[in-house]
Amino acid sequence: MSGPNLLRELGDDAARMAQAVRSGAVSARELLAASLARIEATDNQVNAFTLQTRARAEAEADAVDAQRARAPQALGPLAGVPFAVKNLYDIEGEVTVAGSTVNRSHAPAEADAVLVQQMQSAGAVLVGALNMDEYAYGFTTENTHYGPCHNPHDLTRISGGSSGGSGAAVAAGQLPITLGSDTNGSIRVPASLCGVWGLKPTFGRLSRRGSYPFVYSIDHLGPLASSVAGLALAYDALQRADPRDPGCHALRVQPVTPLMQGASTGLRIGVLGGYFEDNASASARLAVSMAAQALGATASVQWPDAALGRAAAFIITASEGGSLHLDDLRTQSAAFEPLSVDRFIAGALQPADWYLRAQRFRRVYRERVNALFADWDVLITAATPVSAPVIGTEWLDLNGTQQPCRAAMGLLTQPVSFAGCPVVTAPLWPEGTGGMPLGVQLIAAPWREDLAFVAAQRLAEAGVAQVRPVNF
Amino acid sequence: MNEQQTLAYVQATAALMRLPLDAAQAARVAVHLQRTVAMAGWLESAALAPHDELVQIYCPAPFPESDPAPSKGRP
Repeated sequence: MSGPNLLRELGDDAARMAQAVRSGAVSARELLAASLARIEATDNQVNAFTLQTRARAEAEADAVDAQRARAPQALGPLAGVPFAVKNLYDIEGEVTVAGSTVNRSHAPAEADAVLVQQMQSAGAVLVGALNMDEYAYGFTTENTHYGPCHNPHDLTRISGGSSGGSGAAVAAGQLPITLGSDTNGSIRVPASLCGVWGLKPTFGRLSRRGSYPFVYSIDHLGPLASSVAGLALAYDALQRADPRDPGCHALRVQPVTPLMQGASTGLRIGVLGGYFEDNASASARLAVSMAAQALGATASVQWPDAALGRAAAFIITASEGGSLHLDDLRTQSAAFEPLSVDRFIAGALQPADWYLRAQRFRRVYRERVNALFADWDVLITAATPVSAPVIGTEWLDLNGTQQPCRAAMGLLTQPVSFAGCPVVTAPLWPEGTGGMPLGVQLIAAPWREDLAFVAAQRLAEAGVAQVRPVNF
Repeated sequence: MNEQQTLAYVQATAALMRLPLDAAQAARVAVHLQRTVAMAGWLESAALAPHDELVQIYCPAPFPESDPAPSKGRP
Protein backbone atom coordinates (compact mmCIF):
# COMPACT_ATOMS: atom_id res chain seq x y z
CA MET A 1 0.00 0.00 0.00
CA SER A 2 1.63 3.22 -1.17
CA GLY A 3 1.48 5.95 -3.82
CA PRO A 4 -0.28 9.25 -4.34
CA ASN A 5 -3.75 7.84 -3.56
CA LEU A 6 -2.66 6.36 -0.26
CA LEU A 7 -4.62 8.81 1.90
CA ARG A 8 -7.83 8.14 -0.03
CA GLU A 9 -7.24 4.38 0.14
CA LEU A 10 -7.20 4.79 3.90
CA GLY A 11 -10.49 6.66 3.77
CA ASP A 12 -8.78 9.99 4.47
CA ASP A 13 -9.27 8.89 8.06
CA ALA A 14 -6.73 9.58 10.81
CA ALA A 15 -7.75 6.55 12.85
CA ARG A 16 -7.16 4.17 9.92
CA MET A 17 -3.89 5.89 9.04
CA ALA A 18 -2.54 5.52 12.57
CA GLN A 19 -3.65 1.88 12.65
CA ALA A 20 -1.92 1.24 9.32
CA VAL A 21 1.31 2.73 10.68
CA ARG A 22 1.06 0.72 13.88
CA SER A 23 0.49 -2.50 11.98
CA GLY A 24 3.32 -1.80 9.57
CA ALA A 25 1.04 -1.72 6.53
CA VAL A 26 2.43 1.70 5.70
CA SER A 27 5.24 3.82 7.06
CA ALA A 28 4.90 7.35 8.40
CA ARG A 29 7.21 8.44 5.59
CA GLU A 30 4.82 6.98 3.00
CA LEU A 31 1.86 8.75 4.58
CA LEU A 32 3.80 12.00 4.60
CA ALA A 33 4.80 11.60 0.97
CA ALA A 34 1.19 11.02 -0.01
CA SER A 35 0.06 14.08 1.92
CA LEU A 36 2.75 16.29 0.38
CA ALA A 37 1.88 15.00 -3.09
CA ARG A 38 -1.79 15.80 -2.52
CA ILE A 39 -0.89 19.30 -1.31
CA GLU A 40 1.35 19.78 -4.34
CA ALA A 41 -1.43 18.68 -6.68
CA THR A 42 -4.23 20.76 -5.18
CA ASP A 43 -3.02 23.75 -3.24
CA ASN A 44 -2.42 26.00 -6.22
CA GLN A 45 -6.22 25.89 -6.55
CA VAL A 46 -7.25 25.80 -2.89
CA ASN A 47 -4.62 28.09 -1.30
CA ALA A 48 -4.94 26.48 2.11
CA PHE A 49 -1.23 26.53 3.00
CA THR A 50 0.91 29.56 3.80
CA LEU A 51 3.91 27.54 4.98
CA GLN A 52 5.15 23.98 4.54
CA THR A 53 7.52 22.50 7.12
CA ARG A 54 8.80 19.69 4.91
CA ALA A 55 12.20 19.11 6.55
CA ARG A 56 10.69 19.02 10.01
CA ALA A 57 7.89 16.73 8.82
CA GLU A 58 10.37 14.28 7.31
CA ALA A 59 12.34 14.19 10.56
CA GLU A 60 9.18 13.60 12.59
CA ALA A 61 7.97 10.87 10.25
CA ASP A 62 11.36 9.17 10.41
CA ALA A 63 11.23 9.32 14.20
CA VAL A 64 7.83 7.58 14.17
CA ASP A 65 9.14 4.86 11.83
CA ALA A 66 12.22 4.38 14.00
CA GLN A 67 9.97 4.11 17.04
CA ARG A 68 7.92 1.45 15.33
CA ALA A 69 11.04 -0.55 14.52
CA ARG A 70 12.29 -0.23 18.09
CA ALA A 71 9.15 -0.42 20.27
CA PRO A 72 5.88 -0.44 18.31
CA GLN A 73 3.80 -0.74 21.47
CA ALA A 74 4.98 2.74 22.44
CA LEU A 75 3.59 4.42 19.33
CA GLY A 76 1.10 7.20 20.03
CA PRO A 77 -2.57 7.17 19.00
CA LEU A 78 -1.85 9.45 16.03
CA ALA A 79 1.34 7.71 14.92
CA GLY A 80 2.41 9.05 11.56
CA VAL A 81 -0.77 11.05 10.92
CA PRO A 82 0.02 14.26 9.00
CA PHE A 83 -1.57 17.47 10.30
CA ALA A 84 -1.25 21.23 9.92
CA VAL A 85 -2.20 24.26 11.98
CA LYS A 86 -3.82 27.64 11.42
CA ASN A 87 -0.98 30.10 11.10
CA LEU A 88 -1.65 31.68 14.48
CA TYR A 89 -0.11 28.64 16.23
CA ASP A 90 3.54 28.97 17.18
CA ILE A 91 5.88 26.67 15.27
CA GLU A 92 9.41 26.66 16.63
CA GLY A 93 11.74 28.62 14.38
CA GLU A 94 8.94 30.17 12.30
CA VAL A 95 7.28 33.58 12.52
CA THR A 96 3.66 33.37 13.69
CA VAL A 97 2.03 35.62 11.11
CA ALA A 98 -1.61 35.17 12.23
CA GLY A 99 -2.76 36.03 8.73
CA SER A 100 -1.03 39.41 8.79
CA THR A 101 1.96 41.07 7.20
CA VAL A 102 2.49 43.22 10.30
CA ASN A 103 3.69 40.20 12.27
CA ARG A 104 6.32 39.30 9.69
CA SER A 105 8.75 41.56 11.58
CA HIS A 106 8.28 39.52 14.76
CA ALA A 107 10.95 37.12 16.00
CA PRO A 108 10.49 33.44 15.16
CA ALA A 109 8.75 31.37 17.82
CA GLU A 110 11.11 29.84 20.34
CA ALA A 111 8.89 26.83 20.95
CA ASP A 112 5.87 25.07 19.52
CA ALA A 113 2.41 25.96 20.81
CA VAL A 114 1.24 23.61 23.54
CA LEU A 115 -1.28 21.94 21.24
CA VAL A 116 1.38 21.35 18.58
CA GLN A 117 3.47 19.68 21.28
CA GLN A 118 0.50 17.54 22.27
CA MET A 119 -0.04 16.40 18.69
CA GLN A 120 3.64 15.60 18.29
CA SER A 121 3.61 13.61 21.54
CA ALA A 122 0.76 11.54 20.10
CA GLY A 123 2.87 10.76 17.04
CA ALA A 124 1.32 13.21 14.56
CA VAL A 125 3.55 14.82 11.94
CA LEU A 126 3.39 18.61 11.39
CA VAL A 127 3.28 19.48 7.70
CA GLY A 128 2.76 23.25 7.80
CA ALA A 129 0.69 26.32 8.57
CA LEU A 130 -2.65 27.34 7.09
CA ASN A 131 -4.40 30.39 5.68
CA MET A 132 -6.77 32.45 7.84
CA ASP A 133 -8.45 35.83 8.16
CA GLU A 134 -6.01 38.41 9.46
CA TYR A 135 -5.82 38.19 13.26
CA ALA A 136 -8.85 35.87 13.10
CA TYR A 137 -11.25 38.81 12.62
CA GLY A 138 -13.46 37.37 9.87
CA PHE A 139 -15.60 34.43 8.78
CA THR A 140 -14.51 34.12 5.13
CA THR A 141 -10.68 33.83 4.74
CA GLU A 142 -10.67 36.33 1.92
CA ASN A 143 -7.18 37.29 3.02
CA THR A 144 -5.84 40.22 1.00
CA HIS A 145 -2.19 39.49 1.83
CA TYR A 146 -2.09 35.73 1.20
CA GLY A 147 -5.02 35.42 -1.19
CA PRO A 148 -8.46 33.97 -0.54
CA CYS A 149 -8.76 30.36 0.52
CA HIS A 150 -11.02 28.57 -1.97
CA ASN A 151 -13.69 26.05 -1.05
CA PRO A 152 -12.56 22.66 -2.43
CA HIS A 153 -16.15 21.73 -3.33
CA ASP A 154 -16.52 24.84 -5.52
CA LEU A 155 -13.41 26.92 -6.04
CA THR A 156 -15.43 30.09 -6.70
CA ARG A 157 -16.78 30.01 -3.16
CA ILE A 158 -15.36 30.88 0.26
CA SER A 159 -14.00 28.25 2.59
CA GLY A 160 -15.36 30.10 5.62
CA GLY A 161 -13.20 31.48 8.36
CA SER A 162 -11.33 32.49 10.16
CA SER A 163 -9.84 28.96 10.13
CA GLY A 164 -10.53 28.69 6.40
CA GLY A 165 -7.28 26.96 5.52
CA SER A 166 -7.94 24.42 8.27
CA GLY A 167 -11.32 23.52 6.80
CA ALA A 168 -10.22 23.55 3.18
CA ALA A 169 -7.11 21.41 3.72
CA VAL A 170 -9.19 18.62 5.25
CA ALA A 171 -11.93 18.93 2.62
CA ALA A 172 -9.37 18.77 -0.19
CA GLY A 173 -7.97 15.52 1.19
CA GLN A 174 -4.58 17.08 1.91
CA LEU A 175 -4.63 16.04 5.56
CA PRO A 176 -7.00 14.18 7.87
CA ILE A 177 -6.59 16.59 10.82
CA THR A 178 -5.95 20.31 11.22
CA LEU A 179 -6.04 22.66 14.17
CA GLY A 180 -7.92 25.95 14.19
CA SER A 181 -9.24 28.56 16.58
CA ASP A 182 -12.79 29.66 17.32
CA THR A 183 -13.77 32.90 19.04
CA ASN A 184 -17.17 33.49 17.47
CA GLY A 185 -17.43 30.53 15.08
CA SER A 186 -14.07 30.28 13.35
CA ILE A 187 -13.86 26.48 13.52
CA ARG A 188 -17.59 25.81 13.07
CA VAL A 189 -18.10 28.12 10.07
CA PRO A 190 -15.35 26.59 7.88
CA ALA A 191 -16.30 23.10 9.04
CA SER A 192 -19.86 23.81 7.90
CA LEU A 193 -18.96 25.41 4.58
CA CYS A 194 -16.22 22.89 3.67
CA GLY A 195 -18.13 19.82 4.83
CA VAL A 196 -15.76 18.49 7.49
CA TRP A 197 -16.01 17.65 11.19
CA GLY A 198 -15.03 20.34 13.69
CA LEU A 199 -14.86 20.69 17.46
CA LYS A 200 -15.08 23.88 19.45
CA PRO A 201 -14.44 22.56 22.95
CA THR A 202 -15.69 24.05 26.21
CA PHE A 203 -14.13 27.45 26.86
CA GLY A 204 -11.14 26.67 29.05
CA ARG A 205 -10.77 23.03 28.00
CA LEU A 206 -7.63 23.24 25.84
CA SER A 207 -4.51 25.29 26.40
CA ARG A 208 -4.14 28.34 24.19
CA ARG A 209 -0.53 28.96 25.19
CA GLY A 210 1.64 29.57 22.15
CA SER A 211 -1.17 30.79 19.91
CA TYR A 212 -1.58 34.37 18.75
CA PRO A 213 -4.58 35.79 20.63
CA PHE A 214 -7.61 37.59 19.26
CA VAL A 215 -10.10 37.98 22.15
CA TYR A 216 -8.66 36.75 25.45
CA SER A 217 -12.01 36.20 27.11
CA ILE A 218 -13.61 34.20 24.27
CA ASP A 219 -10.76 32.49 22.34
CA HIS A 220 -10.93 28.70 21.98
CA LEU A 221 -8.65 26.31 20.08
CA GLY A 222 -9.70 22.98 18.60
CA PRO A 223 -9.41 20.39 15.82
CA LEU A 224 -11.07 19.79 12.45
CA ALA A 225 -11.03 16.33 10.89
CA SER A 226 -12.23 14.13 8.07
CA SER A 227 -13.98 11.65 10.39
CA VAL A 228 -15.63 11.80 13.77
CA ALA A 229 -13.23 9.11 15.02
CA GLY A 230 -10.29 11.21 13.90
CA LEU A 231 -11.77 14.28 15.54
CA ALA A 232 -12.09 12.37 18.82
CA LEU A 233 -8.53 11.02 18.61
CA ALA A 234 -7.21 14.53 18.04
CA TYR A 235 -9.29 16.01 20.86
CA ASP A 236 -8.10 13.36 23.31
CA ALA A 237 -4.49 13.94 22.29
CA LEU A 238 -4.84 17.72 22.74
CA GLN A 239 -6.09 17.60 26.31
CA ARG A 240 -3.88 18.45 29.27
CA ALA A 241 -4.17 20.76 32.23
CA ASP A 242 -2.15 23.92 31.75
CA PRO A 243 -1.92 26.24 34.77
CA ARG A 244 0.24 28.60 32.73
CA ASP A 245 -2.71 29.53 30.48
CA PRO A 246 -5.00 31.75 32.59
CA GLY A 247 -7.89 30.73 30.34
CA CYS A 248 -7.33 26.96 30.70
CA HIS A 249 -9.67 25.73 33.43
CA ALA A 250 -9.54 21.97 32.86
CA LEU A 251 -7.78 20.13 35.68
CA ARG A 252 -7.57 16.71 34.11
CA VAL A 253 -7.96 14.82 30.85
CA GLN A 254 -11.43 13.46 30.04
CA PRO A 255 -11.02 11.32 26.90
CA VAL A 256 -14.06 10.75 24.69
CA THR A 257 -12.82 7.98 22.40
CA PRO A 258 -13.59 5.15 24.87
CA LEU A 259 -17.11 6.53 25.39
CA MET A 260 -18.20 6.72 21.78
CA GLN A 261 -19.09 3.09 21.22
CA GLY A 262 -22.20 1.58 22.76
CA ALA A 263 -23.35 4.74 24.49
CA SER A 264 -25.70 5.97 21.86
CA THR A 265 -29.11 5.58 23.47
CA GLY A 266 -31.08 7.67 25.86
CA LEU A 267 -29.82 11.11 24.92
CA ARG A 268 -32.32 13.94 25.40
CA ILE A 269 -31.93 15.93 22.20
CA GLY A 270 -33.77 19.14 21.31
CA VAL A 271 -33.85 21.44 18.29
CA LEU A 272 -33.23 25.15 18.77
CA GLY A 273 -36.09 27.33 17.53
CA GLY A 274 -36.77 31.07 17.61
CA TYR A 275 -33.64 33.10 16.79
CA PHE A 276 -31.89 30.05 15.34
CA GLU A 277 -34.75 29.23 12.96
CA ASP A 278 -35.29 32.86 12.04
CA ASN A 279 -31.67 33.23 10.96
CA ALA A 280 -31.44 29.98 8.99
CA SER A 281 -32.14 29.57 5.27
CA ALA A 282 -34.42 26.82 4.02
CA SER A 283 -31.38 24.61 3.34
CA ALA A 284 -30.00 25.21 6.82
CA ARG A 285 -33.34 24.26 8.35
CA LEU A 286 -33.41 21.16 6.18
CA ALA A 287 -29.96 20.14 7.44
CA VAL A 288 -31.20 20.51 11.01
CA SER A 289 -34.30 18.43 10.32
CA MET A 290 -32.16 15.68 8.73
CA ALA A 291 -30.02 15.54 11.87
CA ALA A 292 -33.03 15.76 14.17
CA GLN A 293 -34.77 12.90 12.40
CA ALA A 294 -31.69 10.68 12.63
CA LEU A 295 -31.33 11.45 16.32
CA GLY A 296 -35.04 11.14 17.11
CA ALA A 297 -35.31 14.76 18.23
CA THR A 298 -38.68 16.45 17.90
CA ALA A 299 -38.97 19.08 20.65
CA SER A 300 -38.28 22.73 19.90
CA VAL A 301 -36.14 24.47 22.52
CA GLN A 302 -35.68 28.21 23.05
CA TRP A 303 -32.10 29.33 23.69
CA PRO A 304 -32.33 32.31 26.06
CA ASP A 305 -31.33 35.78 24.85
CA ALA A 306 -29.53 34.59 21.71
CA ALA A 307 -29.56 38.02 20.02
CA LEU A 308 -28.28 39.68 23.18
CA GLY A 309 -25.56 37.05 23.51
CA ARG A 310 -24.45 37.79 19.96
CA ALA A 311 -24.49 41.53 20.61
CA ALA A 312 -22.39 41.15 23.75
CA ALA A 313 -19.93 38.86 21.96
CA PHE A 314 -19.71 41.37 19.11
CA ILE A 315 -18.90 44.24 21.49
CA ILE A 316 -16.34 42.29 23.55
CA THR A 317 -14.66 41.03 20.37
CA ALA A 318 -14.33 44.50 18.88
CA SER A 319 -13.11 46.03 22.13
CA GLU A 320 -10.50 43.42 23.04
CA GLY A 321 -9.35 43.06 19.42
CA GLY A 322 -9.00 46.80 18.98
CA SER A 323 -7.12 47.17 22.24
CA LEU A 324 -4.76 44.29 21.42
CA HIS A 325 -3.67 45.90 18.14
CA LEU A 326 -3.86 49.55 19.20
CA ASP A 327 -0.13 50.27 18.90
CA ASP A 328 0.06 48.87 15.36
CA LEU A 329 -3.19 50.61 14.39
CA ARG A 330 -1.60 53.90 15.44
CA THR A 331 1.58 53.44 13.45
CA GLN A 332 0.86 51.14 10.50
CA SER A 333 -2.87 50.77 9.94
CA ALA A 334 -2.28 50.82 6.17
CA ALA A 335 -0.56 47.44 6.51
CA PHE A 336 -3.67 45.84 8.01
CA GLU A 337 -6.28 43.78 6.16
CA PRO A 338 -8.59 46.30 4.45
CA LEU A 339 -11.62 44.11 5.22
CA SER A 340 -11.13 44.33 9.00
CA VAL A 341 -8.94 47.33 9.89
CA ASP A 342 -11.88 49.74 10.24
CA ARG A 343 -13.65 47.28 12.55
CA PHE A 344 -10.54 47.02 14.73
CA ILE A 345 -10.39 50.82 14.98
CA ALA A 346 -14.10 51.12 15.72
CA GLY A 347 -13.62 48.54 18.48
CA ALA A 348 -10.76 50.53 20.01
CA LEU A 349 -13.04 53.55 20.25
CA GLN A 350 -15.98 51.84 22.00
CA PRO A 351 -17.06 53.30 25.36
CA ALA A 352 -15.94 51.31 28.40
CA ASP A 353 -19.54 50.97 29.53
CA TRP A 354 -20.40 48.84 26.51
CA TYR A 355 -17.60 46.40 27.25
CA LEU A 356 -18.28 46.20 30.97
CA ARG A 357 -21.99 45.75 30.44
CA ALA A 358 -21.33 42.95 27.97
CA GLN A 359 -19.07 41.15 30.46
CA ARG A 360 -21.66 41.57 33.23
CA PHE A 361 -24.37 40.27 30.92
CA ARG A 362 -22.21 37.24 30.16
CA ARG A 363 -22.50 36.07 33.76
CA VAL A 364 -26.30 36.25 33.71
CA TYR A 365 -26.38 34.68 30.26
CA ARG A 366 -24.25 31.73 31.37
CA GLU A 367 -26.68 30.88 34.15
CA ARG A 368 -29.66 31.00 31.81
CA VAL A 369 -27.98 28.90 29.14
CA ASN A 370 -26.63 26.31 31.57
CA ALA A 371 -30.11 25.89 33.03
CA LEU A 372 -31.23 24.50 29.67
CA PHE A 373 -29.05 21.46 30.16
CA ALA A 374 -31.03 20.28 33.16
CA ASP A 375 -33.55 19.10 30.58
CA TRP A 376 -31.39 18.45 27.50
CA ASP A 377 -28.18 16.58 26.74
CA VAL A 378 -27.63 17.88 23.22
CA LEU A 379 -29.16 20.80 21.31
CA ILE A 380 -29.12 21.04 17.53
CA THR A 381 -28.97 24.02 15.20
CA ALA A 382 -27.34 24.88 11.89
CA ALA A 383 -23.75 26.08 11.97
CA THR A 384 -24.16 28.67 9.23
CA PRO A 385 -27.27 30.41 7.89
CA VAL A 386 -26.43 29.38 4.32
CA SER A 387 -23.95 27.23 2.39
CA ALA A 388 -20.74 28.83 1.09
CA PRO A 389 -21.29 32.14 -0.75
CA VAL A 390 -19.23 33.14 -3.77
CA ILE A 391 -15.95 34.87 -2.89
CA GLY A 392 -16.46 38.64 -2.71
CA THR A 393 -20.14 38.51 -1.76
CA GLU A 394 -21.04 41.64 0.20
CA TRP A 395 -24.70 41.14 1.04
CA LEU A 396 -26.84 38.12 1.77
CA ASP A 397 -30.60 37.79 1.42
CA LEU A 398 -31.60 35.80 4.46
CA ASN A 399 -35.32 35.06 4.54
CA GLY A 400 -36.07 38.40 2.91
CA THR A 401 -33.67 40.47 5.02
CA GLN A 402 -30.44 41.91 3.65
CA GLN A 403 -27.51 41.00 5.91
CA PRO A 404 -23.82 41.93 5.57
CA CYS A 405 -22.51 38.60 4.32
CA ARG A 406 -19.21 38.42 6.18
CA ALA A 407 -20.73 39.14 9.59
CA ALA A 408 -23.83 37.03 8.94
CA MET A 409 -21.77 33.84 8.69
CA GLY A 410 -21.47 33.96 12.52
CA LEU A 411 -25.13 34.57 13.32
CA LEU A 412 -25.71 31.01 14.56
CA THR A 413 -22.35 30.36 16.19
CA GLN A 414 -21.72 33.51 18.23
CA PRO A 415 -24.47 33.04 20.83
CA VAL A 416 -23.20 29.51 21.54
CA SER A 417 -19.48 30.21 21.94
CA PHE A 418 -20.28 33.24 24.10
CA ALA A 419 -21.79 30.81 26.60
CA GLY A 420 -18.68 28.60 26.33
CA CYS A 421 -20.55 25.39 25.48
CA PRO A 422 -18.77 22.60 23.57
CA VAL A 423 -19.94 22.03 19.99
CA VAL A 424 -19.22 19.32 17.45
CA THR A 425 -20.01 20.50 13.92
CA ALA A 426 -21.22 17.66 11.70
CA PRO A 427 -21.03 17.84 7.88
CA LEU A 428 -24.42 17.47 6.20
CA TRP A 429 -25.42 17.81 2.55
CA PRO A 430 -29.00 19.11 2.34
CA GLU A 431 -30.80 19.74 -0.91
CA GLY A 432 -31.00 23.27 -2.27
CA THR A 433 -27.33 24.11 -1.90
CA GLY A 434 -26.15 23.10 -5.35
CA GLY A 435 -24.28 20.16 -3.91
CA MET A 436 -22.50 22.17 -1.24
CA PRO A 437 -22.29 21.11 2.42
CA LEU A 438 -23.94 22.84 5.35
CA GLY A 439 -23.03 21.79 8.87
CA VAL A 440 -25.06 21.26 12.00
CA GLN A 441 -23.96 22.21 15.52
CA LEU A 442 -24.32 19.54 18.23
CA ILE A 443 -24.20 21.56 21.46
CA ALA A 444 -23.71 20.16 24.96
CA ALA A 445 -23.34 21.56 28.47
CA PRO A 446 -19.92 22.87 29.50
CA TRP A 447 -17.44 19.99 30.04
CA ARG A 448 -19.73 17.46 28.30
CA GLU A 449 -17.96 17.12 24.98
CA ASP A 450 -18.63 13.40 25.32
CA LEU A 451 -22.36 13.90 24.73
CA ALA A 452 -21.80 15.96 21.58
CA PHE A 453 -19.42 13.26 20.32
CA VAL A 454 -21.95 10.48 20.99
CA ALA A 455 -24.56 12.37 18.95
CA ALA A 456 -21.98 12.96 16.21
CA GLN A 457 -21.12 9.28 16.12
CA ARG A 458 -24.82 8.44 15.70
CA LEU A 459 -25.10 10.82 12.75
CA ALA A 460 -22.02 9.28 11.16
CA GLU A 461 -23.27 5.72 11.70
CA ALA A 462 -26.66 6.65 10.22
CA GLY A 463 -24.92 7.97 7.12
CA VAL A 464 -26.51 11.38 7.62
CA ALA A 465 -23.23 13.21 8.23
CA GLN A 466 -20.08 12.45 6.30
CA VAL A 467 -17.15 14.01 4.50
CA ARG A 468 -17.39 13.69 0.73
CA PRO A 469 -14.41 13.59 -1.63
CA VAL A 470 -13.79 16.49 -3.97
CA ASN A 471 -13.69 15.99 -7.73
CA PHE A 472 -10.10 17.03 -8.41
CA MET B 1 -27.04 59.11 17.72
CA ASN B 2 -27.14 60.08 14.04
CA GLU B 3 -24.38 59.62 11.44
CA GLN B 4 -22.91 63.08 11.98
CA GLN B 5 -22.78 62.58 15.73
CA THR B 6 -21.15 59.18 15.31
CA LEU B 7 -18.55 60.66 12.96
CA ALA B 8 -17.85 63.45 15.45
CA TYR B 9 -17.45 60.85 18.21
CA VAL B 10 -15.03 58.85 16.05
CA GLN B 11 -12.92 61.90 15.27
CA ALA B 12 -12.82 63.04 18.90
CA THR B 13 -12.04 59.65 20.44
CA ALA B 14 -9.51 58.77 17.72
CA ALA B 15 -7.63 61.93 18.64
CA LEU B 16 -7.84 60.96 22.31
CA MET B 17 -6.46 57.49 21.53
CA ARG B 18 -3.77 58.92 19.20
CA LEU B 19 -5.19 57.07 16.20
CA PRO B 20 -4.53 59.05 13.04
CA LEU B 21 -7.55 58.83 10.69
CA ASP B 22 -8.07 60.66 7.43
CA ALA B 23 -11.57 61.79 6.54
CA ALA B 24 -12.40 58.74 4.44
CA GLN B 25 -11.26 56.25 7.05
CA ALA B 26 -13.05 58.13 9.83
CA ALA B 27 -16.26 57.86 7.80
CA ARG B 28 -15.77 54.11 7.31
CA VAL B 29 -15.04 53.58 10.99
CA ALA B 30 -18.16 55.56 11.86
CA VAL B 31 -20.27 53.22 9.73
CA HIS B 32 -18.94 50.24 11.70
CA LEU B 33 -19.43 51.96 15.02
CA GLN B 34 -22.98 52.92 14.09
CA ARG B 35 -23.79 49.20 13.69
CA THR B 36 -22.36 48.55 17.14
CA VAL B 37 -24.42 51.41 18.58
CA ALA B 38 -27.51 49.41 17.71
CA MET B 39 -26.14 46.31 19.46
CA ALA B 40 -25.17 48.31 22.53
CA GLY B 41 -28.71 49.65 22.60
CA TRP B 42 -30.13 46.13 22.73
CA LEU B 43 -27.73 45.19 25.48
CA GLU B 44 -28.74 48.26 27.48
CA SER B 45 -32.27 46.91 27.49
CA ALA B 46 -31.14 43.73 29.27
CA ALA B 47 -31.99 43.91 32.96
CA LEU B 48 -28.87 43.80 35.14
CA ALA B 49 -28.92 44.27 38.91
CA PRO B 50 -26.07 46.01 40.78
CA HIS B 51 -24.88 42.65 42.13
CA ASP B 52 -24.56 41.18 38.62
CA GLU B 53 -20.77 41.32 38.51
CA LEU B 54 -18.47 40.76 35.57
CA VAL B 55 -18.01 37.19 34.54
CA GLN B 56 -14.73 36.19 36.12
CA ILE B 57 -11.59 36.96 34.11
CA TYR B 58 -9.04 36.75 36.90
CA CYS B 59 -8.11 33.99 39.32
CA PRO B 60 -5.48 34.68 42.04
CA ALA B 61 -4.45 31.02 42.28
CA PRO B 62 -5.92 27.65 41.37
CA PHE B 63 -8.54 26.42 43.81
CA PRO B 64 -6.93 23.80 46.10
CA GLU B 65 -7.97 20.26 45.37
CA SER B 66 -8.02 19.36 49.07
CA ASP B 67 -8.57 21.27 52.31
CA PRO B 68 -5.51 22.22 54.38
CA ALA B 69 -4.61 20.01 57.36
CA PRO B 70 -5.94 21.40 60.70
CA SER B 71 -2.44 21.89 62.08
CA LYS B 72 -1.38 24.14 59.22
CA GLY B 73 -2.35 27.76 58.61
CA ARG B 74 -4.57 29.91 60.73
CA PRO B 75 -6.89 28.26 63.26
